[in-house]
Amino acid sequence: MNPQLNYKIQGFVVLMAVLLTGCVTSRIEQSRETVTGIETDEVMVVMGRASYNDREVEKSFTDCIMNELSGGPRPITLISQNEFQDRLYPWFEPRTAPGTTEHLGELFSNPGIRDRMDEAGIRYLAWIDGDTVTTDEGGSMSCTLSTFGGGCFGVRYWEQDASYEASIWDVQNLNTAGQISADARGTSYIAGLVVPIPILASPGNAACKGLANQLRDFIIGDS
Amino acid sequence: MSDFGHHIGMRSILVLTTVLLLFALTGCSTSVTISGTVPTPLVQELPIHVGVYYSEEFKNYEYKELPNESEPPMTHYQVALGTHNLSFFRNLMNAMFMQVTELDNPNLTDSQKNELDVVLIPEIARYDVLLPAISTLAYHAVSIEYHIKLTDLESTDIVNWKIIGYGKAEGSVLGGGEAVAEATMEAIRDGGARIATEVPAAIKSILAVKEKSDVLEEPSNEPPIKL
Repeated sequence: MNPQLNYKIQGFVVLMAVLLTGCVTSRIEQSRETVTGIETDEVMVVMGRASYNDREVEKSFTDCIMNELSGGPRPITLISQNEFQDRLYPWFEPRTAPGTTEHLGELFSNPGIRDRMDEAGIRYLAWIDGDTVTTDEGGSMSCTLSTFGGGCFGVRYWEQDASYEASIWDVQNLNTAGQISADARGTSYIAGLVVPIPILASPGNAACKGLANQLRDFIIGDS
Repeated sequence: MSDFGHHIGMRSILVLTTVLLLFALTGCSTSVTISGTVPTPLVQELPIHVGVYYSEEFKNYEYKELPNESEPPMTHYQVALGTHNLSFFRNLMNAMFMQVTELDNPNLTDSQKNELDVVLIPEIARYDVLLPAISTLAYHAVSIEYHIKLTDLESTDIVNWKIIGYGKAEGSVLGGGEAVAEATMEAIRDGGARIATEVPAAIKSILAVKEKSDVLEEPSNEPPIKL
């Protein structure tokens, strides 16, 4: 292929990617209560805090956090939520999971639970809570399709707020090591100019990446 | 086009239109099979010998959602949860009690009466699925109502626990079958978690009370105290 044409295509792709990505503003906050660190034979579990109402952390969000933590230059060894729940069934189901480190201590008084956690080398439990909600939406767009052709006209927008918090429990010392919160907000648009052109902001993704990076620094930063 | 060809063409269009209309008006039926891990509960065994009777209905439980004329057309689910639910319960019972015997009949033979301490009869009383189209939530929700009957060796009911397992799962863009399966699995796990954490303790206290009352009712050889 002509190198000049190749550069033009690459430039067009980059330009489109920039143009079609909406802006997201995010804020990460951390509060540390104890010194942390993780050995090579120790692992962490990332758990989504479940609830029985319609607002709870999405599975895709905890999967995103796990992907970020297990990859990159400083990966953390993780056990998946499903494997952890199976190993310790029925004590970490939505109905029975401990809400505080004091409850976790009480849970350890039951025979076998502490041993099962030690066998797996679990050092930290990171409980993720929060969700992404649409806070505002508006505009209108209509699409028509007929034998003479079709198209979309108008503009629609929606603003989303992704707010998540990770509470990190030190299983060995039975205390809360700290909390990290991530808040990201962004507005997405779809402009109908015959062809619908989406300009999508992804605050959930920004919150995931921000929270995962901070969580990694929090856990291995002091070791 | 010949008359015959025209006739065949019109007929094909009519058949296709009828099929499409029927599909649009009745929705479609999706068969869901439940699968997933069967964890072994980490609970302390109760040192008793329990007989467990699983009815054929329990073993082969299947939920069939029938189309309702008053509802808008939507997917109707057929959920075969019996097999997976049974293996889950077998694992659960074996973890909860020191010895478990599966019974072919809830009425015990004399030799079974000599061996067993109590009998448990689990049943699925109700299964419900709530779709996002009705609830307007982002989740498919499932609830399973279990009835766990505890009887003595003469088949007299001691207690009947009503335990509801609840599960929910996000649906995918291409269909809710997987979400219904995942929510059902969660509901089985949730019901199982409650059974594992509550039922053995309750049986323990029931047997302790019974033992105490049996001791009190035993005829004494000593003469009654005269006041």
